[in-house]
Amino acid sequence: MTVIGGAETRARKVRWSIIDIVVVVYALIPVLWILSLSLKSKNTLTDGNFVPREWSIQNYIDIFHTNEFLLALVNSIGIALIATAIAVVLGTMAAYAIARLDFPGKQLLVGFSLLVAMFPQVSLVSPLFEIERSLGLFDTWPGLILPYITFALPLAIYTLSAFFREIPWELEKAAKMDGATPAQAFRRVIAPLAAPGVFTTAILVFIFCWNDFLFAISLTSTTRSRTVPAALSFFTGSSQFEEPTGQVAAAAVVITVPIVLFVLFFQRRIVAGLTSGAVKG
Amino acid sequence: MRTAGPPTAPPGRTGWRRRSRRRCTAMLATAAVVAPLLVACGSGPNAGITINVYLPPEEHFQQVIDNCGKQAAGRYSIVYNKLPRDADGQREQMVRRLAANDTGMDVLGLDVTFTAEFAGAGWIEEWTGDRRAEAEKDVLAAPLESAKYQGKLYAATKNTNVQLLWYRDDVVSTPPTTWSDMIAAAERLKAEGKPNQIAFTGAQYEGLVVEFATLVASAGGHILSDDGTKAVLDDGAIRALQTLKDFATAGVTSPSMTNDIEDDARHELENGQSAFEVNWPYVYAAMQADKPDLAKHFTWAPVPGVDPGQPSRVAIGGRNLAVSAFSPHKAEAFDAALCLRNAANQEYSAINDGVPPTISSVYDDPAMTGPYPMKDTIRQELRDAATRPITPAYQNVSTLISTILSPPSAIDPRATADELRTKIQQALDSKGVLP
Amino acid sequence: MTGTTRSVPAAGQAAPIVAQGRTKAVLSEGKRAERRLGLLLCAPAAVVMIAVTGWPIVYSIWLSLQRFDLRFPAKREFVGLQNYLTVLSDGYWWTSVVVTVGITVVSVVIELVVGMTLALIMHRTLVARGLIRTVALIPYGIVTVVAAFSWKYAWTPQTGYLADLVGPDKAVLTERLPALGAIIIAEVWKTTPFMALLLMAGLALVPDDLLRAASMDGAGPWQRFVRIIVPVMKPAILVALLFRTLDAFRVFDNIFVLTGGAQGTGSVSMLTYDNLIKGLNLGIGSTMAVLIFIAVAIIAFLFIKGFGAAAPGSDQGGKR
Repeated sequence: MTVIGGAETRARKVRWSIIDIVVVVYALIPVLWILSLSLKSKNTLTDGNFVPREWSIQNYIDIFHTNEFLLALVNSIGIALIATAIAVVLGTMAAYAIARLDFPGKQLLVGFSLLVAMFPQVSLVSPLFEIERSLGLFDTWPGLILPYITFALPLAIYTLSAFFREIPWELEKAAKMDGATPAQAFRRVIAPLAAPGVFTTAILVFIFCWNDFLFAISLTSTTRSRTVPAALSFFTGSSQFEEPTGQVAAAAVVITVPIVLFVLFFQRRIVAGLTSGAVKG
Repeated sequence: MRTAGPPTAPPGRTGWRRRSRRRCTAMLATAAVVAPLLVACGSGPNAGITINVYLPPEEHFQQVIDNCGKQAAGRYSIVYNKLPRDADGQREQMVRRLAANDTGMDVLGLDVTFTAEFAGAGWIEEWTGDRRAEAEKDVLAAPLESAKYQGKLYAATKNTNVQLLWYRDDVVSTPPTTWSDMIAAAERLKAEGKPNQIAFTGAQYEGLVVEFATLVASAGGHILSDDGTKAVLDDGAIRALQTLKDFATAGVTSPSMTNDIEDDARHELENGQSAFEVNWPYVYAAMQADKPDLAKHFTWAPVPGVDPGQPSRVAIGGRNLAVSAFSPHKAEAFDAALCLRNAANQEYSAINDGVPPTISSVYDDPAMTGPYPMKDTIRQELRDAATRPITPAYQNVSTLISTILSPPSAIDPRATADELRTKIQQALDSKGVLP
Repeated sequence: MTGTTRSVPAAGQAAPIVAQGRTKAVLSEGKRAERRLGLLLCAPAAVVMIAVTGWPIVYSIWLSLQRFDLRFPAKREFVGLQNYLTVLSDGYWWTSVVVTVGITVVSVVIELVVGMTLALIMHRTLVARGLIRTVALIPYGIVTVVAAFSWKYAWTPQTGYLADLVGPDKAVLTERLPALGAIIIAEVWKTTPFMALLLMAGLALVPDDLLRAASMDGAGPWQRFVRIIVPVMKPAILVALLFRTLDAFRVFDNIFVLTGGAQGTGSVSMLTYDNLIKGLNLGIGSTMAVLIFIAVAIIAFLFIKGFGAAAPGSDQGGKR
């Protein structure tokens, strides 16, 4: 559909293959480099070679033996999952209303979420630091979950309302006319149609929460709630005079795994979600 | 791990239980990843008191912790939580938790420059009565001063630290006594094609502030007024700036000098490019381990002075133990701190981790001579040591100094002094912007 | 009217709503129930967003009018606009503003060019289209801090593969301009795919027959691009630029990891963080927060009014 005249010749395919390879190299080099670092043995860590000369999984063994990383991983997973769940539920409610219902203040809500999406997050760090300090939320899970939900909501609302607009809602009416109760109509007809959009939104929101660094580093102070991105920059390593490069790399790879899995399995959905909402958190 | 995990941080019994239950639920959700951790949850804190000690990594300090844990005879147990290695990171972590009134920290291992800030903000307890007497007993004057703020004692000295001039006696016959002598010697060695560079911690960080404070004191100058409220930057300071500039522009340093911290400087001498190195005593043990051959020619002298015939005055480092104002177990924390820094443990740390003791009698122990041969030079420097500026706004002052002095080759002594004076004064009044 | 037909710009929407407000009395029971349900469904999201952004920003305006340093709690006092004077007359602040604007402009321009190229490739490649789109998503999805560490170690002398390329004795991250370059590279790498995806959505709007017709009329590829593709894509381009500009203006993670803001490479976010978290100066930190908020508002205003960028949500960023 995108070819503008001309036959698909072998030469064109070769040309595109080369271009594709350039893109793949561009996208993967930093990822492969951190993977390579994490798999280098202690002796070859600073040899500057792109491919490890001596392979070792010692770094992974090391990080999984420290509470520092394990607790951060638990925090990251727990906080991101809870924030995602809440944001998606609230976002679904709001997006359904925006897509389907007519009520005063709708534009206000749309405008306000846009404002939040553009909000400079660092502007919130000082008031939130002070507010959370006095409320006892500083360095707790809710202390991070709250801002995550807030900044994920515009993303969720935009993506979901775009999806909801595509749903052929007439089917609901048709089902009702065929004698289905509203609950049945929702469960059998609407829910299956809406589920992919909700799922896609959940992935995008999860990626956003998983990614955050500014709040994580400003509103936490201990392993009680520090997530992996923040913990990475605080790794002490085991010995006094050695940079824990290998361990940081290993931890970085571990938190990249879920992202790579998402991208591999849900590429189409993520692309659809991102382009429909045209919003990044 | 270096911060309090669940087994080590009980901030108030009930709060901990609640949190630990919530934590457990979340953990269950991810049980597959963290199965081993679950064991820690159900049991909750044991009946005994746990004293959480926060210190940067010292390889053999766990032994000291264990000694004192045993000595407590069941009254309390001690847990060693590791702080980051760099002073900024240590401070940032402690300060943020103290500002949030965190009760999970009991004994704080403070860099000597933190005392004023922590005491001024009311985050650490004053030492009084018998405990104060014990913490002051037989302690050298300069380190003791670093644990005080406005005449009151706020910490017990654990170890002190002074830089020395390290050099290779196979290429340098007599150690230089002034910076200009040292630069000249390095130029001579360069002409002879021998190892010649002067390794120096010139990166934009706390280490550069230490060097600057040493130079200013050696030139008889002042950065702040004695009461710490006015930025002075007198003639001595200007001559110190001139010396720093001369050194940085003489071509006698490594090209990466403006990026070097302690360990880089150490490596530069170990790998043969430097003949001189201004650094802390830990480099001695490291040299014995890394380069036993070179170690035979690795020797030391006092840091050079600025003016001929005028010995240097070296800015001290070191670590003091303070008790957090938010600790739920202050009495036990004081006792634990006293134990961790007693004479026997200081000697153990000196021999095993290379950190200079603060208790005078430890230097006299014959057992020290073998593993710690530079002790007399250290003590000589300590006799007339200087301090970095003492003010609750130290962090700001230090950040400003290292920013304004970077890179040292760009110093224009008078203008730089003026800039320092204005900016530091703003910081003292908590008015300025932190770079 | 129901939501299904709403692709109308925000301004166009205001009128019907006002009209409905006036006819409140004659609303049917069903309409009223719909309105109630709508408000009810939106309330939780609205409350959370207002509570976590609206209230704190008001609070930070209040904090910015005080001298409030956590290390000198006793000296807390109301100082009016003095903090603003201090910040606005401070060299470090303006340095960070220049750095931020510089990083924003340079990286967004590069991202637009590279992103457009990538979008064209993803849109038109004949081979392995799925693979290309999958791979391009990785920089978007990867945690910024992870990518930043990867770049940092790549530039670290001895350790990294890039450090050797620039020669020994050169520490890229310790000199100002090279360090800024490294920061921009990291930013561009991470965010170009997102830009490309937004642009690709715009590319899908370009009618193929129009291109074919132009081609038959003898228009070369460049002419087709400039005369047809770009004009059709203009809304998508502007939306992508708006979001990336605001996002780039907030740059923090990469700087924190790569240089920590040393050698004059700190952005306004970095400076705010330092004054707040390192300096514990809530007064100055909040002042900077408010100033950044105002700057972002001005940028958004300029884009939306000046360039006519359609606000996403009113136009759905080109999706039809």
